[in-house]
Amino acid sequence: MILLNYIASFFLIGLGMYAIVTKYNLVKTVIGLSITDYGVNLLLISIGFNPGGTAPIFTWSELDYNSFFVDPVPQALTLTSIVIGACVTAMSLALVIKLEEQYGTIDTRQIRRLRG
Amino acid sequence: MTVVIDALMYLGYVLIFPGFLFCFLAGMLLCGIDRKLVAKMQKRVGPPVLQPFYDFFKLCGKETIVPDAAEGICFMFAPLLGLAALVVIQLFIPVFGFTAISGMADIVVILYLLLIPAVSIILGGAASGSPYAGVGLSREMVTIISCELPLVLVLLAVAKTVGDAMGTGLCFSLRGIAEYQAANGSLICRISMLPAAAAMLLIIPGETGNHPFDAAEAETEICEGLLAEYSGAPLAVFKLSHAVKMLTLTSLFAALFLGGLGTGMVVLDALLLFVICAVLTALTISFVHAVTARLKIEQIFKYYWTVVTLLAAVSLVLAWYGL
Amino acid sequence: MNYLGNILSYQHFPIYAIMVLFLGSFLIAVFGENRIARNILALLSVTAALGFVAALIKPVLMDGEIISYWMGAREPAGGYAIGIALEVDALSLFFALLVSLAVFVSGVYSIQYMNRDHNEKEYYTLYLLLCGGVMGMVLSGDLFNMFIMVEILTFAAVALTAFRNTARGAVEAAFKYLVVGCMGSTCILAGTAMLYAQTHTLNLAQLAQLVPGDVNTATKVAFALLFVGFGTKAFIVPFHPLAADAHGAAPASISVIISGVLTKSGIYGIIRITYFLFQSMGLGTMQFLLVFIGSLSMFVCVTMALAQHDFKRLLAFHSISQIGYVLTAVGLCTALGVSAGLYHAINHTLFKGLLFLAAGAVLHETGTTDLNKLGGLAKKMPHTTVLFLIGAFSISGLPPFNGFASKWLIYQASYQKAVESGNIGFLLVTVIALVTSVLTLASFVKVSHSVFFGQLPPELENVREVSWGMRLAMGIFALLCLVTGLFPGLVTGYLTEPAATAVFNVSQYIEAMGFDGSAAVQPEAGSFQYVGAWDPVSWLLVLCIALLAVTIAAAAGKYGNFSRNRAARREDKYQLFYGGEAQELSQLGGDDLFWGFKHNWRGYFNYMHRMHSGIVNDYALWAVIDLALVMLFSLIVL
Repeated sequence: MILLNYIASFFLIGLGMYAIVTKYNLVKTVIGLSITDYGVNLLLISIGFNPGGTAPIFTWSELDYNSFFVDPVPQALTLTSIVIGACVTAMSLALVIKLEEQYGTIDTRQIRRLRG
Repeated sequence: MTVVIDALMYLGYVLIFPGFLFCFLAGMLLCGIDRKLVAKMQKRVGPPVLQPFYDFFKLCGKETIVPDAAEGICFMFAPLLGLAALVVIQLFIPVFGFTAISGMADIVVILYLLLIPAVSIILGGAASGSPYAGVGLSREMVTIISCELPLVLVLLAVAKTVGDAMGTGLCFSLRGIAEYQAANGSLICRISMLPAAAAMLLIIPGETGNHPFDAAEAETEICEGLLAEYSGAPLAVFKLSHAVKMLTLTSLFAALFLGGLGTGMVVLDALLLFVICAVLTALTISFVHAVTARLKIEQIFKYYWTVVTLLAAVSLVLAWYGL
Repeated sequence: MNYLGNILSYQHFPIYAIMVLFLGSFLIAVFGENRIARNILALLSVTAALGFVAALIKPVLMDGEIISYWMGAREPAGGYAIGIALEVDALSLFFALLVSLAVFVSGVYSIQYMNRDHNEKEYYTLYLLLCGGVMGMVLSGDLFNMFIMVEILTFAAVALTAFRNTARGAVEAAFKYLVVGCMGSTCILAGTAMLYAQTHTLNLAQLAQLVPGDVNTATKVAFALLFVGFGTKAFIVPFHPLAADAHGAAPASISVIISGVLTKSGIYGIIRITYFLFQSMGLGTMQFLLVFIGSLSMFVCVTMALAQHDFKRLLAFHSISQIGYVLTAVGLCTALGVSAGLYHAINHTLFKGLLFLAAGAVLHETGTTDLNKLGGLAKKMPHTTVLFLIGAFSISGLPPFNGFASKWLIYQASYQKAVESGNIGFLLVTVIALVTSVLTLASFVKVSHSVFFGQLPPELENVREVSWGMRLAMGIFALLCLVTGLFPGLVTGYLTEPAATAVFNVSQYIEAMGFDGSAAVQPEAGSFQYVGAWDPVSWLLVLCIALLAVTIAAAAGKYGNFSRNRAARREDKYQLFYGGEAQELSQLGGDDLFWGFKHNWRGYFNYMHRMHSGIVNDYALWAVIDLALVMLFSLIVL
């Protein structure tokens, strides 16, 4: 079951990169970035998952060696990663708007004043 | 007391031998011999051997003109820096058993020190603001790039050969190279070093900017390029630098490949070095000058990065496998 | 009182150094409307950061102590690191010193450089955010924390690249940087996740303890991901076009940070992961990866730089070319190599900073960085010219400046490696390095001719020298360039060799955090001796004597015998010689100066020009291909 998660996460990462590489529309590039990010998030959360574990919310007294819960660290990492992903999307969309203003297009093939 | 004597000795090195006086006399004589020989080879009478001296003093007496468009300080100072840097290199090159200053610079350093005179002439020319100098500096720089690759390979081959024999694997020190040759005979006697020596002989006219590799100066085409705006004493200093560079490169060849010939007496060694330099000049500069026509800059580059580099690379590979 | 003594103990200085920068950023965002308050806050932050880092020199670099700091005093429990840790060994501190120095000088420069821009408040906020990010990254002892800091600095760098968003290509450059940079960050995160899955820890020291015992396919993939991720931060090939675009558009003070500091953070990351985490995967094979990519960066970027006609873009390519030197030297895996590489890293920060600031000064006064439109500025900006020349000589490795000292060590290290290992490939590296050096010189001859010498275009008649603050910043860098060049023994003895020792002492790094480092696989440092000799001070002394002698002789002769009479200057003989043609502006320079060289390589140059198409998809494709190749390499060879 968890294997499916891993496969899906790498599929998402690959899909995102595929979108970034092949799509000439700036917005699609941004979508590709997001998809890659989701893939990594899925990977992270799957790593921390223990089948049958409870939520990792305990007070100090409740915690003993028999408590079985999912790993909380990847969840924290995922939260951070989601925030960063949102920032990336916001920033890149802002840049896309600026690019559209300046170049009059959102086709990457025409946004290449800096080259060579 | 010893400090004072040491200081005087070093001052003597810098000013007399192998410093300024030696460089001036030997370089100018080499230049004169070269001109005479080329003339003879072309069935002309040619100038007297002492003509470069006359030229030098005549130029020093002329008025110096700094063009309006020029950046004065750099324009006037560049020739002096170039000359001083060249003389300092001469101090590091062993005269057979004798090295004025050792333990301060190795062959990689020499490689870089050789760039300083070139850079100073380039900056001086650039500071003059002349368009001819622009063309000249572009060609001068390309000539430097052309010579650099084979020169690097030659030096690495020598370092490897000497290092192998000394057990350290590689030896960059010029004194080490001289000592090795004093003990084991000249490097040129080794098969693996022959192509390197040939490559080095071909590099000499390129580094000095002599015919046929003088696209950077090409007086008939771009009016001496970098020197187009120079006149009077600064021009004389540049001419002197050019002569000293001939001496430096030929004596570098002698130090790298013909070491171990010395007699042990400094005066005789100096004379011997001068004779060797004169022969090398005749061979690599005068003869080549007399029989060839000037190459275009892209041909110079191609020539050095194919023929000469190949020679040097063969030598390096041979040295690598210990031949 | 005891409490005060406690919080002033140097154990806390690493976190203070990070905090002051972030705090400054926050405070400027709040109170930055006032110009004076803003400048004081910014200067105060960068100075404080420099002070905190400098105070650590004594315990860490000299006494060899490793500072371990658990945030909130959350020490490891049950043998696992739970809290976030800072760990400062000599390597971290070495990079932190570089960071704080570059940040300080660039901060001084910014004050007057940015005075013609609007939104200075946002500028300083982002600027300090960027600096704090880099500082946090090099001092961190936690892989995920490193990722967070990398994200922060990428973000700030992207925003600052687009800061002058009306300038040509600024937004475009920022977007490309964001796309590929975020792909890199994602790689780092994915690599971190895969490592966590294997070891259940994020602490670098504990990873260094656990990873070597557990090398499998997943670890190898993690290595490839991390390597490529940090590679995007160092802009090594194939990510170099991003650096060129970003530098060209960003303000000069930011270029200093990007090239002097941000790329160093990438190098730092690569050193950490190769030497500390994955050393058991075979340093011998990893060194091929580093040396290969390093040499490629060296050569490709220097040739790309020769083809440029924009001042800052050209400098950007050179920046990556020099990073190639650093990576190559570090990849040699010998004590001499690592020491030489770190030495070059210092020098790179100094001379590249100087050159970017000089480019910024030219841009500030003339409004352009196009080499085809400039010329003859030496007469208008003499100080900037001298400072630029010092930088140019340093980067081209002319003695006695610092570039030569480190390059000399790199040649020795690579050649020695070739001799020791009997592998002729390393010999090729030496040759490439030497040729790259002369091509660098060529390229800076082009710049100095096109910008500072040659003829002054009429529209630049009114250019003036830049203000003193900017010259001061450049002067600091220039002085340091000379000092680090003249006293290589001091630099290697006090800075690079302790750092190199730290690189080869992994078990100490592990044990400093309280883990068991006895089983750590240590890379073999090997001993070395210098095979040549280079004594810059004596050489300079001899040169000065010779120069003095020539100058005296010249002064005694008729050398200075030229007319200073301005009135007589209208005469023809003071005009330039045009071979009888009418006088006109005929400044040579710009992209095609070295035609003789480029003509022979036209196939190569045309190919490279086509490859650097400027389309973001292509650069993303390069990133993916690079990732795939490194992954293949690590799966098959390592």
